Amino acid sequence: MTTGTRLAEAVTLREVRRTYGAGDAAVTALAGVSVGFRSGSFTAVMGPSGSGKSTLLHCAAGLDRPTAGTVTIGGTDLGGLSEHRLTTLRRDLVGFVFQEFNLVSALTAAQNVALPLRLAGRRPAPADVAAALAAVGLAERGGHRPSELSGGQQQRVAIARALVTGPAVVFADEPTGALDLRSSRQVLGLLRAAVHEQDQTVVMVTHDPLAAAYADRVLFLADGLLVDELTGPGTPGDAGFAAEVAARMARLEA
Amino acid sequence: MLAWSTVRERWTGFVGSFVALTLGVGVLTTALVVFVSAQPAVPERLAGAAVVVQSPAGGEDAEAYVEYVPWSAARAEELAASLRAIDGVAAAVPDRSFYAQLVRDGRPVGDPPAGDPIGHGWSTAALAPYALVDGAAPAAADEVALDAAYGLAPGATAAVLTAIGPREMRVSGTVDGPGIYVSDASARALAPGVRAIGLVLSPGAAPATVAAAARTVVGAAGAVVAGDARTALEPEAVTRVRWLGTQLLTVMIVLAAFATVFVMASTAALNAYQRRRELALLRAIGATPRQTRRLLLGEALAVGVVSAAAGALLGVLAAPLLGDLLVRAELEPAGFAPRPSLLAVGPAVVTGVLVAVAGAWVAARRAARVRPLEALREAAVDKHVMTRPRWVFGVLFGLAGLALAVGTAADDGDSAMTMAIFSALTLIVGCTLLAPVLIPPALRALTYPLRRSATGEVVRESAGAAIRRTAATAGPILLTVGFATLILGMVKTMSPAFGSEDARALGVDAVVTASGTPGLSDAAVAALPGDVLSGLSTQVFVAGAPVDALGVVPGAVPVRGDAGALTGDTAVVADPRWRAGDTLLLTFADGEAVPLRVAASVEPGTLTTPLLLPRDLVRAHDPSALTMTAYVRGAPPAAMTGDPGVLAQDPAAYAANDDEDALVWLFVLVMVGMSVGYTSIAVANTLVMATGDRRRDFRVLRLSGATNRQILRMVGTETALVVLFGTAFGALVALPALLGIRSSLAELTGSAVRLVLPWPELAVVVAACTGLALGAALLATRRTLHRAQPR
Ligand SMILES: Nc1ncnc2c1ncn2[C@@H]1O[C@H](COP(=O)(O)OP(=O)(O)OP(=O)(O)O)[C@@H](O)[C@H]1O
Ligand SMILES: [Mg+2]
Repeated sequence: MTTGTRLAEAVTLREVRRTYGAGDAAVTALAGVSVGFRSGSFTAVMGPSGSGKSTLLHCAAGLDRPTAGTVTIGGTDLGGLSEHRLTTLRRDLVGFVFQEFNLVSALTAAQNVALPLRLAGRRPAPADVAAALAAVGLAERGGHRPSELSGGQQQRVAIARALVTGPAVVFADEPTGALDLRSSRQVLGLLRAAVHEQDQTVVMVTHDPLAAAYADRVLFLADGLLVDELTGPGTPGDAGFAAEVAARMARLEA
Repeated sequence: MLAWSTVRERWTGFVGSFVALTLGVGVLTTALVVFVSAQPAVPERLAGAAVVVQSPAGGEDAEAYVEYVPWSAARAEELAASLRAIDGVAAAVPDRSFYAQLVRDGRPVGDPPAGDPIGHGWSTAALAPYALVDGAAPAAADEVALDAAYGLAPGATAAVLTAIGPREMRVSGTVDGPGIYVSDASARALAPGVRAIGLVLSPGAAPATVAAAARTVVGAAGAVVAGDARTALEPEAVTRVRWLGTQLLTVMIVLAAFATVFVMASTAALNAYQRRRELALLRAIGATPRQTRRLLLGEALAVGVVSAAAGALLGVLAAPLLGDLLVRAELEPAGFAPRPSLLAVGPAVVTGVLVAVAGAWVAARRAARVRPLEALREAAVDKHVMTRPRWVFGVLFGLAGLALAVGTAADDGDSAMTMAIFSALTLIVGCTLLAPVLIPPALRALTYPLRRSATGEVVRESAGAAIRRTAATAGPILLTVGFATLILGMVKTMSPAFGSEDARALGVDAVVTASGTPGLSDAAVAALPGDVLSGLSTQVFVAGAPVDALGVVPGAVPVRGDAGALTGDTAVVADPRWRAGDTLLLTFADGEAVPLRVAASVEPGTLTTPLLLPRDLVRAHDPSALTMTAYVRGAPPAAMTGDPGVLAQDPAAYAANDDEDALVWLFVLVMVGMSVGYTSIAVANTLVMATGDRRRDFRVLRLSGATNRQILRMVGTETALVVLFGTAFGALVALPALLGIRSSLAELTGSAVRLVLPWPELAVVVAACTGLALGAALLATRRTLHRAQPR
């Protein structure tokens, strides 16, 4: 989209800090993180519980405002944007898959997928929505409500929704946290396909080294700081890479 | 699509708003239709007089109605003669009206109010105009023409009751309008004083031109009205009845509007709060704050328009029923028929829609500020319920309510009631706003006995944690109990019958009042056995100001004051303006001015009227004067059952059976019943909405070993606690206003007033609230538990 070359960064964080509360009760979730996500890359973020992974994702996606530092998406600094502008920018450039509560319960799967387009004032073609659902293997379930879908199916609907606008960046917070092995593979495959076939950028938080091994790059976070980084071999789910990631994690958690 | 889908999915949240708003708009429409229809009208019997000359306006009477000083018979004839000479005037008819009533089978027919008598001279029939249906106009002294509706044919004998007594008359003809018509000569004797002269115009004459000419003829001796200005001719009795009805309607409208706003705002807030996660999700996937706000307002608008339309329809259908009720309760004049107009329905509908949107406005603004992140984090414990505006307005409303209560106490009558009502309403709003602060300590106090049981602990914690839910449930209960306590207590405190005190002080055996007639005729009083203490009620003018007077016979005075000094041409006064020895120039109902010496002056308040006059003098100058109450010594009520127009009671029964009080009480009960009904909708709505939201909690409780029964008991206890809280604070908010009313009354009457609270009625109100709240909560919980079986 707005990024010119393949090498440009879709999202850039510079010295991002995020503190919750004030005074004695203050918690530092991010203690100054600088990182860039190249356009067309698949990055996994790992780290112990409470290390600030979700916070990093929220700040990078413009869902949360950092206490200090700058976040740039597609060349736009989010710092000075109004809530309205921030929302429209997010709508155009960012897709998000949450760990839970992804869908509007009043709407069917198809309506949920079409929602971001409708919110942007576009009239979604039924074929596009159907294609997005078919891509996640749910072509048959478009008319079902979230309460009639399994957790994994809901997660896949959420991914279809995140991808349907063709966003430059997709953020996913433990998208496979609640899924079995088969569903996880499906979801990860979808994300990887988005990167390699649609040229989109994916940033994913995960606790699972096997999932992380689907990424091109793995970042390690501890106590709100970036402490380590690994680059993958480029084959999805490479066992050796997964083992290496697991070893790094074990070291961090020790 | 989204708004519609959410309305469909979250219908429990909207059905409550819908029902509440529909009913609110319904009540509002009904009340407004009746209110707007209840406008002064040109009396039908003067409708044919395009121009009317009224006698000069005097001062206002004790109830602030303008009274007109009558012309004497001679003056009226003189004026009529010169008016007749005006170009374009076909007839100038002095309107002579006197008390008359048909007696059939020994029973008086109808019950014409004293201030709007139906006896007239024959020539006034031309002012309507009413025409003969059959027979001839009355000419002889014993002839009468009757409304054909009475069903008496010409030639028949009719018993006509006047202030003197019944008289047999021959029916000379029948008329196509209401009234009892005698010959003009008889009418001059029965109604010598004239307050209006009607001008019937010849065809083609312009009312404005004639009115202008009449004005020059009459000068300062009267006022000329034409066209719509003739509504000023409406008899005071009719206006008074209308005013009473209007007062009650106003209270009804204020309460309906208040309750609707109150319920809608709290429902909208709870609705938006419950949906915060869904809204946050929408925000996260790209809904701008404006879109979020528009979604909520759109929903509110949809609900508002639909329910306002339904409510308007309901209200228009119900208006005739209310009109009928009011007529039957004698709060609107007979023949009153509400007509729906845009003027009435329009504002009701607009109010409904505005209330729906305004109720959602604050909630929508707040919801639009929902951070997208809230979709991701659990937040079951209410934090930040108390915002700064909530604090500010809560405290302001609380203070204003207390100030109004103090104002009520300082007020000496007229607006005390209104102020008391506003004091209570303001305190209710204040309390509701501050509820999040008041609830935790109150709950801690209320649950103290439960502190040891496990369910008690959960109840205590969850009711305290979900402050919003607790407040939303307690609010309507607080409103109802507060309102019921105020209104019921106010009416009961204000209505100890003054008359009964008189009867007791006089030591009489029977109190005789009229039944089916506006007052007792001389014949009815004369027929009473034993010692009769009575007086003729009349009104005189002193220097243009109306003064109530009682015509009495010394030694048989129906008041506690001393009238021993009264002789044939003197007066006893109970008014600080006049002293013994003064000479008062009194203008009587017949328009004659009579000078009277003040024989004695007594303490004001010892007499029921400011003036006592010799009875014969009153009768001579006011042929329509009636006796309102006669007290009998030395004969039991049972000895006076002969005359059907007479109601004899012992003093205790008289005090208890005060007609007017009973009617007002009935009306108040209807109003309280209405507000209980309204609250129940609000409470049920809140509970159903809130309970559905607790599915997750219930499941967790089930999984940690609670049985369904335990959960139900827990919810029951919690609901009971909330009702208790609402009841306690409801009673508290009404108290300042009631105390204010009490001291205002005490000041007014100069004696200590007891605060009366009708406990049985209040108990019913509280029981109804409790039953409804428990029913709604338990049913909703059962349904939710059913759906939340651990899987
Ligand atoms: N709203 C908040 N208020 C206070 N502290 C918070 C808030 N949100 C997060 N934190 C704290 O910030 C830190 C980082 O939280 P974050 O959710 O980013 O961790 P995480 O790495 O995603 O953990 P997990 O793997 O458990 O999801 C934690 O210590 C957390 O307690
Ligand atoms: Mg996390």
